[in-house]
Amino acid sequence: MAAAAAAATAAWAQRLAGVRGLLLDVSGVLYDGGDGGGTAIPGSVEAVARIKRSGLKLRFCTNESQKSRDKFVGLLQRLGFDISVNEVTSPAPAACQILKERGLRPYLLVHDDVLPEFDEMDTSNPNCVVIADSGDGFSYQNVNKAFRVLVSLENPVLISLGKGRYYKESDGLMLDVGPYMKALEYACDIQAEVVGKPAPAFFQAALKEMGVEAHETIMIGDDIVSDVGGAQRCGIRALQVRTGKFRPCDEHHPEVKADGYVNDLAEAVDLILQYANK
Amino acid sequence: MAARRALKAVLVDLSGTLHIEDAAVPGAQDALKRLRTAAVAIRFVTNTTKESKAELLERLRKMNFDVAEHEIFTSLTAARNLVQEKQVRPMLLIDDRALPDFQGIPVNDPNAVVIGLAPEHFNYQVLNQAFRLLLNGAPLIAIHKARYYKRKDGLALGPGPFITGLEYATDTKAIVVGKPEGKFFLEALRGIDCTPEEVIMIGDDCRDDVGGAQSIGMLGILVKTGKYRTADEEKINPAPYLTCESFPHAVDHILQHLL
Repeated sequence: MAAAAAAATAAWAQRLAGVRGLLLDVSGVLYDGGDGGGTAIPGSVEAVARIKRSGLKLRFCTNESQKSRDKFVGLLQRLGFDISVNEVTSPAPAACQILKERGLRPYLLVHDDVLPEFDEMDTSNPNCVVIADSGDGFSYQNVNKAFRVLVSLENPVLISLGKGRYYKESDGLMLDVGPYMKALEYACDIQAEVVGKPAPAFFQAALKEMGVEAHETIMIGDDIVSDVGGAQRCGIRALQVRTGKFRPCDEHHPEVKADGYVNDLAEAVDLILQYANK
Repeated sequence: MAARRALKAVLVDLSGTLHIEDAAVPGAQDALKRLRTAAVAIRFVTNTTKESKAELLERLRKMNFDVAEHEIFTSLTAARNLVQEKQVRPMLLIDDRALPDFQGIPVNDPNAVVIGLAPEHFNYQVLNQAFRLLLNGAPLIAIHKARYYKRKDGLALGPGPFITGLEYATDTKAIVVGKPEGKFFLEALRGIDCTPEEVIMIGDDCRDDVGGAQSIGMLGILVKTGKYRTADEEKINPAPYLTCESFPHAVDHILQHLL
């Protein structure tokens, strides 16, 4: 037993050596959404506070696209988290940047709550579609409108804020933007441009904003493909938490293997604080 | 030179082959009568997600086609058979008009999803319900995977995009039951004592009708009616056994050369 424990210690020490910065996924790691805004995952409020006290660098790296950053951060603050808007990397501002650079006028297939992020965009006579997690906004009629915009274009451009398969709310798993992005790709025979995890540019932007190199950073998320796989492709280590959308089969994923699996954010932070500087 | 074989059954597509909307292809009724004088079984096979068998039958009879209900085999029937074979209770994402074809199938506490063209069901809450069933291991049975279809007010999304989305969300593959699946043609022949080599399929869709049938060893005749466009016959390899003007020509060829 003692030998096994020593081996486990050595393994974690090796996995976490030299970590200076943390990228935290939010939904499913800090909290689970649901009626009334959602609930904090036990131990996560204190875990964020402990990271901040430790002097490690921290950035929230989310594909949240159903709410504006202001609303989203306000919700997390009400749940007790120490978080501010300028600590959050999220896809809507990145998408706006792309739209501006390329002179694109979007048809927005997005939730009403995220519309303020696109306030400055010209949405008349659209020449592209931006799709984000819309929840009930994914009606047949709305998806069909986006489809008609795309088929009417000579070079259809579809920009997707993330491509997650599903996320967890308190009453169960919910379809995310990914399935609807795939639906439009199939309907129009096109490939979407993904802004957000797992796109490398998105992780790189988060690293730059945090000021830590990839090899000194660890990502903590509940999505084996988007969070863990996406980070690893950028040379960032990644842990998967067994909260949020985690399913036991994730630990045997055919393509992605996390650098470690932990029960929740609190355990991840315990281990990081114990081993990161050894 | 056509290989001589003892023909035992003829499969006939409906829309585009026997009729176009509510008008019969000229001479098709008489051609069907001529075909019935030969010693071959006839089955009518069609991909439909909206029209029940009863509706199809009524339409054919209005155009004076001599057709019996048991001779019609549709993708809805194929889906129903698969549901029964798997002994599952489906959540039915299909048009209300198609529901009669699933009469008697238990649908309480569903553990499977059957999906066809049903825009009225393709909203977030309903698709999310289907998604949760699939994550629990329910099979996804698709009537077909068309990308879009034409409506009076313009193009509209078909079931294919939503099926693709559900496949992606759950990392599974739908079982598609209609043409051009080989199993569809074989099931249409259930109860007829024959092998695929003793069957010929007549249709206006080069890939779905002719290609599908020929892929399992049947002969295929492409007719230049319905959705046929110039050079369609070059779309498949091997080429159709025969490409001809219309259903009556196909029947004449069969009567003169294949019996």
